[in-house]
Amino acid sequence: MTTLDALLREKVLLLDGGMGTQIFARSPTLEDYGSAALEGCVDLLTERRPQWIREIHESYYRAGADAVETNTFGANPLVLGDFGLSTKAYELNVQAASIAKEVARSFDRPRFVIGSVGPGTKLITLGHVGYAELLASYRVQMDGLLDGGADAILIETCQDLGQIKVAVRAAREAMAAKRRRVPLWVQATVETTGTLLVGSDISAVLTSLEPLGIDVLGLNCATGPDEMHAHLQTLSESSPFYLSCLPNAGLPENVGGQVVYPLDPAGFAPKVLHAAKEFGIAILGGCCGTTPDHIRALAPGVERLNAPQRSPKLERSAASLYQSVPLQQEPRPLIVGERTNANGSKKFRDLLAAEDWDGMIALAKEQQREGAHLLDLCVAYVGRDEVRDADELLGRLVTQISLPLMIDSTEVAVIERALQRSPGKCVVNSINFEDGDARPRRILELCRTYGAAVVALTIDERGMAKSREQKLEVARRLYALAVTEYGLDPGDLIIDPLTFTLGSGEEEFRGSAIETLEALKLIKAELPGVLTILGVSNVSFGLNPASRHVLNALMLYHGVRHGLDMAIFNASKVIPVAKIDPEDRRIVEDLIFDRRAEGYDPLKEVLARYSGRKAAVVADTRTDLPVLERLRNGILDGAKQALLLDVEEALADHDPLLLINDVLLGAMKVVGERFGAGEMQLPFVLESAEAMKAAIRRIEPHLPKGGSYQKGRILLATVKGDVHDIGKNLVDIILSNNGFEVRNLGIKQPIEAILKELKAWPADAIGLSGLLVKSTVIMKENLHFMEEQGLKVPVILGGAALTRDYVEGDCRRAYAGPVFYAEDAFEGLRHMQALVAGDSSGVPAAAPAAVASGEIKILRRGGAAVPLSASGQSSWVRHEETPPTPPFWGVREDAATTEELFGHLDEFALIRNRWGFAQGSQTDEAFAAVLRDKAEPQLARWKARLAAAPMLEPRARYGYFPVRAEGDALQVFDPADLTRPLARLTFPRQAAGRRLSLPDFFRADGTDVLALQLVTLGQTAADHAARLYKEDGYADYFAFHGLATELTEAYAELLHARIRRELGIQGKDLPGRALFAQGYQGSRYSYGYPACPDLEGNGPILDLLGGGEIGVRLSESHQMDPEYTTSALVAWHPQARYFSI
Amino acid sequence: MVKVHFLLEDLLVEAPAGTTLQRIADAAGADITFGCRTGSCGTCRVRIAEGLEHCSDPGSEERDYLRSLDAPPDQRLACQVCVHGDIAVDYLGL
Repeated sequence: MTTLDALLREKVLLLDGGMGTQIFARSPTLEDYGSAALEGCVDLLTERRPQWIREIHESYYRAGADAVETNTFGANPLVLGDFGLSTKAYELNVQAASIAKEVARSFDRPRFVIGSVGPGTKLITLGHVGYAELLASYRVQMDGLLDGGADAILIETCQDLGQIKVAVRAAREAMAAKRRRVPLWVQATVETTGTLLVGSDISAVLTSLEPLGIDVLGLNCATGPDEMHAHLQTLSESSPFYLSCLPNAGLPENVGGQVVYPLDPAGFAPKVLHAAKEFGIAILGGCCGTTPDHIRALAPGVERLNAPQRSPKLERSAASLYQSVPLQQEPRPLIVGERTNANGSKKFRDLLAAEDWDGMIALAKEQQREGAHLLDLCVAYVGRDEVRDADELLGRLVTQISLPLMIDSTEVAVIERALQRSPGKCVVNSINFEDGDARPRRILELCRTYGAAVVALTIDERGMAKSREQKLEVARRLYALAVTEYGLDPGDLIIDPLTFTLGSGEEEFRGSAIETLEALKLIKAELPGVLTILGVSNVSFGLNPASRHVLNALMLYHGVRHGLDMAIFNASKVIPVAKIDPEDRRIVEDLIFDRRAEGYDPLKEVLARYSGRKAAVVADTRTDLPVLERLRNGILDGAKQALLLDVEEALADHDPLLLINDVLLGAMKVVGERFGAGEMQLPFVLESAEAMKAAIRRIEPHLPKGGSYQKGRILLATVKGDVHDIGKNLVDIILSNNGFEVRNLGIKQPIEAILKELKAWPADAIGLSGLLVKSTVIMKENLHFMEEQGLKVPVILGGAALTRDYVEGDCRRAYAGPVFYAEDAFEGLRHMQALVAGDSSGVPAAAPAAVASGEIKILRRGGAAVPLSASGQSSWVRHEETPPTPPFWGVREDAATTEELFGHLDEFALIRNRWGFAQGSQTDEAFAAVLRDKAEPQLARWKARLAAAPMLEPRARYGYFPVRAEGDALQVFDPADLTRPLARLTFPRQAAGRRLSLPDFFRADGTDVLALQLVTLGQTAADHAARLYKEDGYADYFAFHGLATELTEAYAELLHARIRRELGIQGKDLPGRALFAQGYQGSRYSYGYPACPDLEGNGPILDLLGGGEIGVRLSESHQMDPEYTTSALVAWHPQARYFSI
Repeated sequence: MVKVHFLLEDLLVEAPAGTTLQRIADAAGADITFGCRTGSCGTCRVRIAEGLEHCSDPGSEERDYLRSLDAPPDQRLACQVCVHGDIAVDYLGL
């Protein structure tokens, strides 16, 4: 007889579609359920209306399904308990499976029955239900499904990683008890936010389930096929299991209070088949909103598919609830934070004694910030109940920390409870053979049951292995037990060849570091695939803190060179070896490699050299340096807290003016140079500036009367009609922290106001900023005005829409005084420095080294201007398509959650563009490290911050209006009265080429539809940004501003996607990032951008959409208030793309 | 000197070798829309219809951007390209 496994090797398997959809189509009554109290208990209908279930299975088999899912989605004692039916669980599962089997047998070709196991109603990870209770409940269901004859178990629609692991265990135990092994399938449900409901991404799911050896891992529910692409791709590339995909019939939409799924069978099938080919999917089917017709539409295509071939590559990893972390980091080593350990950290021990759970979590988060990849967690404290402490702490910790955990205990019961409490994949620390192999066996059994990696120490009955040979011998024995006998992947076995202190001077341990390093090399060579770890700081036990840091750093360095993969280490104390003084390094390396000689003992040298030296507060080699050097480094590193301590120290015996002028400003100059050379990224520059500001504030009271460090003055303003603050504020930050006095007049400043201020406060220069295209024109007008006033004060211009050619050409011709272009804040700074030094000729641009010389000449401006049609529109635009019909006319309101916005966030644009992480002159590796260590954690942090505190209030309005194109204008009509014009929007037209104007994308006969949208993050968001700037939180201000700007864009993107769906033109939407590059049909045009540069258009849009309803107002310069608001006109026409006038 | 042919409006421009396509397009008023001008927004995406070999190699920023879209190799960002020989350009935009 053909088995499921055999069939999967031959072909792509077709499953059924929605069960609930079919049941509800029969409109079950109270009579059908049996009583009002049982209404909605769909699982009970197996017993009360078996004929329905039979018919549904039969209809799916007839449609071409190879297998159907049993009607047991909620049939476990916990869910049925809500109806008082928990005792019926076993029976309902047996019945449901039997009914399906019976129908299957009535067909002649092989048909299968998949036992459906739903997620239940309680989330174990959030503490709604205990481990034992959930396991017992699932066990009943698994028993019933197996006894009823199910051919496979499908744990589906999973929203909680913790729940999946429990259900998998229940299935395994049921199969073992019944000696009947059937395939075990798992399907997770990834929401539109990109994660499971509890926040796990798909990699975390894969990493956590991989050691459990299931047969299928796929996706179902929540979204349509298109939205699943990114997650399917991850699984396709990495998962060793068969891949399944059972999407909904599109993203559910709420139409008049009814949930509607937009994809009909003809729309659904090609999308699913496309995904199947693209990602090598082995099992296809449908979920909510799909019907036998959807399956019938899929069947012929599925028949033509071959069994997919994939070559997945899985990185050995650990996982938290949220994310997966590869155990082999590049660059090595992976750092295990050691401070959440009651044995190693007094602070943690005290917090534990006080049961200050929040304090312990704060300590864990601190390590996360410091760069740890994994957290070692040990709550062993004499006299306390370790199991209870693990339970209490982990219950709180796992949802708050994104790092995977290393469970550190000697007690088997503690390890087991901790593994039950941790939804991801943990590392257990540790096993050894000190008392034989009984205990390691028990722990390995737990690793197998819960899917964990394990640290194994080279200790056996003889004690700790000291020689390299002995270490290798014990390592081999560990491998034989864990890998060969217990079936762990070699990459989940992490061998610790032990580190001994070099600080005691005992002869026996003098060569111990050499033995450990050599053992690392041997183990990596002899036992392929295993990983290695060291508790590095043991090497310096007994020495003073200053020397410990250096010895630890060098031991780590040499460990990595000898094959070390992971290190248990205080992440904040990792000193780059390059920063260690060469003489210190020589002596300490002599100690590590035991290079004693006649009359020379490196240990004595170390003791003498470091005696009296103190370890730094922020723990690096800084304290070894003179205080002025430390101040300089404090600025370069942007280390505000440490810098302030150093400032106090320096003030004791240094001239305050000298500190600022020579030391701090000198360091800021280096920051500027590094930024210019592409070695330093903007976010780091802002951290430096923030530290500078704090230092100056501390020093200022000490300045002699009349003493000023300031070199010159500048008046800054954003020009009339422009509300953009950030660029000008960056200039303010850089100039004021580089010794210039800045008066920042704010936004929307008419030239009259700026010149009035200049009279009252004579400045060395005026700086004008503006983002809009229109602002470049205003700047030139301002210069004309100043010329008429006979002024000569230098003017520096900056802003996104400006070009050097425009400033140095048009703008200079308008004004007799000096006019400079500043590409960024630092070029502005260089201009200011040159000006106060008496040079008004300007400074050369730092950037392009080889600017081509010579003129740009137009040889031919072709007559290729397309003619206009009779209605005055560009004839380049086709008008054969019929305009779509909107689902409603008029305006609706919308609100989104912050998570939904993150689901549409263009992270690339945020990190590279808004946050200014640019590669510059860095190598690919160095830049990848910056992205990984700085940019991505920063994004994760903000995500958590925005989730924790309500800083955004996203709201929106959008609507559909009848529209008619009339030459260069759009005439918008009242949906209720097509003869009543509501607004007339006019647009500029290209002079040549395609001669496009926005109305060309609409029909001139009045049968067309204009969609309008307006989104805002609310006053709260704008207030929050303003507060950060006022409090000199430069880095935070800049980061928040960039993020809020992109989240506004994300909301616009989200709403635009809904409009496309509602218009039925979503068919061309591209997956992934391509969507952000107009990867869809039609276009979204905002005022102020090249196709419609005039902001005046915002007025009618706000009126049409009722912007006031969501707190959006128009400023006198026609921009929208509050900040982080954007509006758009949406054109559906396929040729509608961005263009410039 | 190199010649750049903007196909959309049949605009033929001469410029010194090594000039960025952005400067040439700006100076000649070609129908190309620019956004960030730093290679991360993609508004100025073009297809180099002829003379791809006369264009400077993409830098990391541009390479990462185009890779994220799976764009074919003849697509470039006009703000990032230096022109070293005759080319023909077709504007794509975002």
